[in-house]
Amino acid sequence: MTCAEFQRVLPYIIDTGGNAEQEEHLRECAVCADLVADLKYIADQAKLLVPMEDPSPRVWQGLQKSLEREGLVKSAPARGSLLGLPSRDWGWMAAGAAIVLLLAGIFFTRNTAPAEKTTSVAAVSAAPNVSDEDQQILNSVAQLHPDLRASYQDGLRDVNSYIQDAEQSVKNDPDDQAARQLLMQAYQQKAALYQMATRSTQ
Amino acid sequence: MTQAKKILASGITEAEAIDRAKGGDAEAFEMLYGLHKRRVYSLCLRMTGNTAEAEDLTQEAFLQLYRKIATFRGESAFSTWLHRLAVNVVLMHLRKKGLPEVSLDEALEPAQEDGPKKDIGARDNVLAGSIDRVNLERAIESLPPGYRIIFVLHDIEGYEHNEIAEMMGCSIGNSKSQLHKARMKLRDLLKISRAEKAAKR
Repeated sequence: MTCAEFQRVLPYIIDTGGNAEQEEHLRECAVCADLVADLKYIADQAKLLVPMEDPSPRVWQGLQKSLEREGLVKSAPARGSLLGLPSRDWGWMAAGAAIVLLLAGIFFTRNTAPAEKTTSVAAVSAAPNVSDEDQQILNSVAQLHPDLRASYQDGLRDVNSYIQDAEQSVKNDPDDQAARQLLMQAYQQKAALYQMATRSTQ
Repeated sequence: MTQAKKILASGITEAEAIDRAKGGDAEAFEMLYGLHKRRVYSLCLRMTGNTAEAEDLTQEAFLQLYRKIATFRGESAFSTWLHRLAVNVVLMHLRKKGLPEVSLDEALEPAQEDGPKKDIGARDNVLAGSIDRVNLERAIESLPPGYRIIFVLHDIEGYEHNEIAEMMGCSIGNSKSQLHKARMKLRDLLKISRAEKAAKR
């Protein structure tokens, strides 16, 4: 079997495996083996992408108007607060925002000088998936809602990985505005997770 | 986490919020929006690659959700039901716009001039370990719309080829072929990105 023949059928066998002849070609051909490894790696990495961005408040405002116009709701929410959070939650919103600003401030202050970018990659790569602070939050959740612990743990692991990737991108290129924006979103998501976890333990 | 056990900020479960929304409870609508907005918006953004369109489609998806919520019987998870609804909203929008999804009459050996190149006879460093999610998100954004939609649905959102074929009105083989071309194109983009970064250092 030639590489051309193998690559012609590859779309149909890559996720399921091929016949004996195709598998033999894959074992013997380094070029095709590299190709398959790359394509599977891309698919595996894609599975790790998690939603990071919230829509702007305009979306809910527009939705609210449509709901009222169509008579789908019995009455508009009595509270005027964003997304119906009770007023006591604004304290946690403020605390979360403070965490975001602190994390972002520390990181961006340390990474505005391009000269630092070559020294910090290894340190970032070694960052743990779940920090001591995360562990404290998880322990608090586990005490009151053991069934929620795994979800929070998965969420923190995902967002920490995102932060790690985005920090590395910013360190590699401090002028990369898109990477900076992604990093801010990741910090915001982590702050939101902390808020939710704290709320669930009250 | 199961649907019944999802606890919202106000202390009620998602299942309770759904029941209340069926009765027209505005607060319950808002809770469901808060719980699912990120995932729906992210799906819309990844499929369209455009923030304004993604916001409009998110709004439309939730509006349809609220119109149809009384028909939700719990045969599947609520998030699965909502997600499928959102995918259909995006696909309908793209059809109206006349953007290419998957060519229905595409031959199994399509022209490659605007697609990824085949990889015959050349060996290069493998990608493993060299890309991060920031680069991957960027590369996905750069994909042509037809490739991007299939890739997002299959590799990110986890739909099977038979589900994609049904949603997009194409054959399973066509879905597999388009996914493969999307991954090949991403591989090219990621290798270019890696080379550019290496050249900067």
